[in-house]
Amino acid sequence: MTGFVAPLPLQPVDTIVTRIVELVGLRFIGVVAVLFVGLILAYAAGTAVQRLLIGVGLPDAIEGTAFERTARDFETSTVEILSWLTRYFLLGVTIFAALSVAGVNYADRFWNLVIAILPQLFIAIIVLIVGIVVGDKVELLVAERFRGVKLPQVNILPSLAKYTVFFLAALVALSQVGVATLALIVLLGGYLLGLIVLSAVAFRDLLRSGAAGTYLLFSQPYTIGDEIVVGDVRGVVQEFDVFVTRIESEDEEYIVPNARVFDTGVGRIR
Amino acid sequence: MVALSEILDDLVSDVDGLFLFTPSHSHYERFADLDVPTVVIAPENTVEAEPFVELPLQFQNVKDRIRFGVEGAMEQNIVEAGDDIACNVGIFGGDPDSVVRVRVEENMRSGIYDLFANSRADPGVIRDVFEVAIELGKKGQKGEPVGALFIVGDAGNVMNKSRPLSYNPFEKSHVYVGDPIVNVMLKEFSRLDGAFVISDSGKIVSAYRYLEPSAEGVDIPKGLGARHMAGGAITRDTNATAIVLSESDGLVRAFKGGKMILEIDPEDY
Repeated sequence: MTGFVAPLPLQPVDTIVTRIVELVGLRFIGVVAVLFVGLILAYAAGTAVQRLLIGVGLPDAIEGTAFERTARDFETSTVEILSWLTRYFLLGVTIFAALSVAGVNYADRFWNLVIAILPQLFIAIIVLIVGIVVGDKVELLVAERFRGVKLPQVNILPSLAKYTVFFLAALVALSQVGVATLALIVLLGGYLLGLIVLSAVAFRDLLRSGAAGTYLLFSQPYTIGDEIVVGDVRGVVQEFDVFVTRIESEDEEYIVPNARVFDTGVGRIR
Repeated sequence: MVALSEILDDLVSDVDGLFLFTPSHSHYERFADLDVPTVVIAPENTVEAEPFVELPLQFQNVKDRIRFGVEGAMEQNIVEAGDDIACNVGIFGGDPDSVVRVRVEENMRSGIYDLFANSRADPGVIRDVFEVAIELGKKGQKGEPVGALFIVGDAGNVMNKSRPLSYNPFEKSHVYVGDPIVNVMLKEFSRLDGAFVISDSGKIVSAYRYLEPSAEGVDIPKGLGARHMAGGAITRDTNATAIVLSESDGLVRAFKGGKMILEIDPEDY
């Protein structure tokens, strides 16, 4: 304290930084830096995911699935949703990183729980979306596969395949976030068992005819135009499908279940 | 202007029904509270009209189109012989642009409606075969005109009244008319002689069939060749319908019960 006041000299840059650090605190700088880097990273990662998905041809592959169409209705797309999810996830990680840098440690256990569950939640959402998209795609593929088969019965197979994939995706997603899924699995088992027992009883004849019809369609021991005898029915084959054979005699047309063809055998008249 | 609307008044005075051919929704609504029955004739019932006659083919020949509609309406007991009806129909392009007054008579039953609606084979199958024949007639095989003979329905009896000319390419296959690949296959096989046999449900049973009907009492126009004669004759012997594409004049003709029912030019479709 000499009373001498020097004219304010030009201070070197590192001194300014030191001053600012002193002023706002080292922690705050760290928080801002983490947030800044995190934001850029999140945005870049989202864009990278988008590029990658487009690059591997995902938009073409999922064209026409229900999820994609719903996304289109909201003027977005599956790829965009996935890239935004990535961004939000990274953003969340950034915020927690920033918080820990800032030393905010009130309710520590709560935040630990959230941090622990966040990646799992993220994976669960991804699994769900992938499940829905794959389920839709499976439905389309199965439907396409069966288009040549002109049977109304096969229409149930595509949706059955779809919901199976949905259910599996939901199971994986739920178990990912730690929800007890044992009950669901037991439920599924019981449901399937009930369905099988019920259909085995109710559709016994149809199933028997269908099994016999499959063989008849593939090997065609008789064909349209042949005169055949099934049991006490005799006539010309007009049509046959998976379940029945239509036989026409002079003035009567018989519809014979294919199971009967197997039970009694079939005679071909030369 | 007075004289002009009088022409229309004459046309539509005292009609017993109004036939709308492929109307738009708003066009149909305008006639909602008419006191005579309004019949809609269209490929699809988009206006949810009642009564409705389904048009399996957009007949370019307006006479055929009207005949089909009248026959369909007679079949559904909406009109009967002696009724006068006004037909609002599009001659140029799709939209209705003209009014035709027609008197319904019993001899208008030419069988066009019957051919589609009451054949043994499914109406959709007959329509699909028509489409294949029209497409073949238009494009031909590699630019050359081809002929083809399709026997639709009652396949069991047709097979018993015919014999194979060669191995059947459709043996043990499950191919149906209307499947996308089939047009190409039929086009290729149409180079070969003989008839295609198609079952009631549209399954292609055989190609290369030599038909052996008895040609007694077959009533087909003179000048048509062996293909038409064979096709026409088999429809007398069985309940089948024959759809023939002529190689020489390129027309598609349909036979049923030994009679020629319909003749259309593929170029119009």
